[in-house]
Amino acid sequence: MKKKDVREIITTAVSLFLICAVAAGLLAVVNHVTAPVTAQNRQASENAARAEVLPAAQTFTETTLSDGSTGYVGTDETGAVCGYVFTTSASSYGGKLELMTGFDKNGVVTGIKILSIEDTPGLGMNAKKEDFLRQYIGSDGVLSVIKNAAADKNEIAAITSATITSKAVTSAVNTARGFYDELTGEAA
Amino acid sequence: MKFFIALLVMGILTQNFTLAKFLGICPFLGVSKKLNTAVGMSAAVIFVMLIATAVTYPLNILLENNGLAYLQTIVFILVIAALVQMVEIVLKKYVKSLYKALGIYLPLITTNCAVLGVVILNIDYIGDYAAFGFGFGHAMMNAFAAGAGFMLAMVLFAGVRSRLEGADVPKFLEGLPITLIAAAIVSMSFLGFSGLVEGLGLLG
Amino acid sequence: MSEKKKYNLKNELTKGFLRENPVLRLVLGTCPTLATSTSVVNGVGMGIAATIVLICSNIAISALRKVIPSKARIPAYIVVIASFVTMVQMLVKAFVPALDESLGVFLPLIVVNCIILGRAEAFAGKSPVLVSAVDGLGMGIGFTAALFCMGTVREILGAGTFLSGIDAMIGCSFKGFDFTGGLAKIGLAPMTLFILPAGGFFVFGLLMAAANRLAEGKGLKKAGLSPCAGCPRADACANKLCGEEKDV
Repeated sequence: MKKKDVREIITTAVSLFLICAVAAGLLAVVNHVTAPVTAQNRQASENAARAEVLPAAQTFTETTLSDGSTGYVGTDETGAVCGYVFTTSASSYGGKLELMTGFDKNGVVTGIKILSIEDTPGLGMNAKKEDFLRQYIGSDGVLSVIKNAAADKNEIAAITSATITSKAVTSAVNTARGFYDELTGEAA
Repeated sequence: MKFFIALLVMGILTQNFTLAKFLGICPFLGVSKKLNTAVGMSAAVIFVMLIATAVTYPLNILLENNGLAYLQTIVFILVIAALVQMVEIVLKKYVKSLYKALGIYLPLITTNCAVLGVVILNIDYIGDYAAFGFGFGHAMMNAFAAGAGFMLAMVLFAGVRSRLEGADVPKFLEGLPITLIAAAIVSMSFLGFSGLVEGLGLLG
Repeated sequence: MSEKKKYNLKNELTKGFLRENPVLRLVLGTCPTLATSTSVVNGVGMGIAATIVLICSNIAISALRKVIPSKARIPAYIVVIASFVTMVQMLVKAFVPALDESLGVFLPLIVVNCIILGRAEAFAGKSPVLVSAVDGLGMGIGFTAALFCMGTVREILGAGTFLSGIDAMIGCSFKGFDFTGGLAKIGLAPMTLFILPAGGFFVFGLLMAAANRLAEGKGLKKAGLSPCAGCPRADACANKLCGEEKDV
């Protein structure tokens, strides 16, 4: 190998290395600045979501569930337990679907909020709409999905052309009910 | 096993990488005119997707263990670029026949978003499909399925375009516009597969 | 002299709007265009994020053009672009979490958006800093405008809304327009097909036809543009693969 070639390889490698090093350093700085903000945002939006699905509660305390995930017990201003909030997930059409369900102390669903959903816009994404989610509020047993208008309060009318998504939302809510039974069963 | 089949069906049919997820559109429009170039390009893509996944998957574990997850994008794209270059050199030197078949497509693959897309999606899937124990084997399967889905779209579309050649197209739609409208119809036909994975009970 | 420069700058800025519109004329960045134009807010969010990356990477690459060894320029460009993309991604996550959620994997994929690497290779790598920045801005505006048009058509026809989701994105109380109620009264529903992938291809095709028509109407014949203009790997394939095919 000629001397000139060697020098060219070295300068190329060194300048590439320098560019990479500077880039990595800059990224570390930006990450240092944004990471706490991101974490704070997530915390704030989770708190807001919990307050939304269980409005009666003033404070929430963490509790560990049988599968290792975290559930929340809500207490009102007198300190009495007034309900529970669970975050559960299910596989939907476009991937993972994650939602938060609130139960009052009698096991009636007080609210439900979709945290993350990847689905077809216009079809599965309609699961985020108020009209669909309202059906879950007030239910007190294991839910089932039907394709016609729902007759019973524990029946959910599927979204048109998005039965799979409807089933995924329902199964996530049913999982949450399982956690509710687990917690209240222990308490009794 | 069921989950492996589910990944395959999703990647190829229900969530086809190109027609439903919109990854790899540039080569889909650019090199789908002739069947043999379409096949050559997709074979090269499958090849690169598999090696890229095999390298980035363990690399990601290393990054995450060291709290460097934010370097993912930059590391992955560099690894892909370097891999493509290396594969090109190795093939050129040792596997001349394969180089002749795939060589010209390789430089174009660095900027193919389908490759970076599948690598990033594989990392996302670890969390999304945690319940199914998504691991290295699944990542490789997913990479293969994504590439095969790309190939299916390319081959089908090459057929469509050869028919388009002889068609009498309104002047304002000539060229790429009519090609895109044809792509719309191919994409629409893939809607017919929706619900297949769930219907077969593959995601139990 | 200075007058000539001014004229050039204006030209560099406006060429991306229509004549060399990256999406509709050069056919670059098609993946994010199709994937994120399901709604106006989504598409414009993507456009702005990519424009920021494009301007920053054009400036950095132009400033470093004498330092970057020509043999290793593509990897060097990729590193520069990828770091800006990651920065934008982190900033979006921190300050506009709603956008991060709706763009999903397409935010990190700005790295392989061929508009950005294409401008680096075709322009910023051999032009002074200011002109490169203006070029980036013009191309970014062209990209965002194309996304806005696609998003408008797809959202109005496909979802029956306009600017929906804007409240979460910029934190205002205006929730966008919703025509679905009015449509239902006269017995109509939005044509969901338009926000499905198939509708994306369809609208893209028609918009491209319109842009070609408009650009030629101005007397700017396509002859001035090579079909591979702006493709970052034009040198690698030497017009062998898609050159003749893209010639519209």
